[in-house]
Amino acid sequence: MASRGFTKLEEATEAALIVACQARDQAAFGELVKRRQGWARALLRRMCQNHAEADDLAQEAFIKAWDRMRDLETPAAFPGWFRRIAVTTFLMAKRRQKAVFEEITDASPLASEESTPEAAAGAKLDLEKALARLSDAERLCVTLNHGEGLSHSEIVEITGLPLGTVKSHVLRGTDKLRRLLDPDA
Amino acid sequence: MTDFDALLKRSFAEAHEPADDGFVVNVTHSVAQREAGLKVRGYMQLGAVTIGAAAVSWGLYTLVGAFGQEIMASVGLEIARAHAAVSAQPDAGAAAQNFLQSMGAGLTQILLLTGVLAGGAVAYRASQD
Repeated sequence: MASRGFTKLEEATEAALIVACQARDQAAFGELVKRRQGWARALLRRMCQNHAEADDLAQEAFIKAWDRMRDLETPAAFPGWFRRIAVTTFLMAKRRQKAVFEEITDASPLASEESTPEAAAGAKLDLEKALARLSDAERLCVTLNHGEGLSHSEIVEITGLPLGTVKSHVLRGTDKLRRLLDPDA
Repeated sequence: MTDFDALLKRSFAEAHEPADDGFVVNVTHSVAQREAGLKVRGYMQLGAVTIGAAAVSWGLYTLVGAFGQEIMASVGLEIARAHAAVSAQPDAGAAAQNFLQSMGAGLTQILLLTGVLAGGAVAYRASQD
C-alpha cells in the first residue's frame, strides 16, 4: 500500500487514486468509482431519463475510463475527461437507437401541454420530471450547460453538434424548464 | 444571473444520486474479469509466439540439414568467382555472365531462405492477431 503513496484507500486524495489506477490498481479504481458514481449516474440519468439504462451507461463509461486511464495526462483533468467519456457513451447508445440530435423543430410541445392539469401545477414538478419533458437533444445540452457548467463551445467540443444547434437547444430547453418549474415567469 | 438560473443551478447541484454499493461492485467485478481476460490473452499470445518461433527454428534446422552442404558449396563457389572477377582484368561481358551464373546457381537457396523467413513472419503476425 505504501508504494501507492497512501495507506488507506478512504483517506487517499482523488489524484493519488488516479495515479494508482494508472498503475492498474483495481482497489484504487473501486474507491474512485465509489466516490464518483453519484455524479456520473446523476449526469447520465438526467440525460437518458431511464434509470436502468443510465446505470448501464455509467458502468460502461467507468470501464472505458479504466481501459483508457493511461491516456489521462493529469489527475486534475479527470472530471472533464470522464464527463467526455460519459457523454460519448451516451451519444453512442442514442445513435444505436437512431436518436436524432441535430434536428431542431419549431413546434414547441409544451405549448399544448400548458393547459393540462399537470402543467398547470408546474411549480410542483421537480427537475427530473421537467427534464423528461424536453427532447433528448435539449436535455443533453441543458444538462451540460446548467448542470455541468459547460459553455456552448465546450458542449460543441464534447458532443460534436454545430454551435447554432447547441445554442438553440439550450435556449429552447431552458425556456421550457422555466415554463415548467417557474410558471409565474 | 436571474432567480430562475440560480434555482436551476441549485436543482442540478442537489440532484446527485445516493451511493449504491451494488453499482460499485458491478463495475469492479467487470474490471476484474476484464483484467483476468487480458492476462489469459497475454499468456496465449506468448504461447503462440513460442510455438511459432519453435516452428521456424525447426524449419531452418531441417533446411540446413538437407541443403547445408549445397548452400556452403554454392557460397564457396560464389566467393571464388567473386575473387577471380576482382583479380582478373575488368571485362564487363564476363562480369555480367558470371553474375547471371551466380544468380542462377544461388536462386534455389535464396528462394528457400526467403520462403522460411516469410513463413516465420506470417506465423508471428498470426500469433499477434
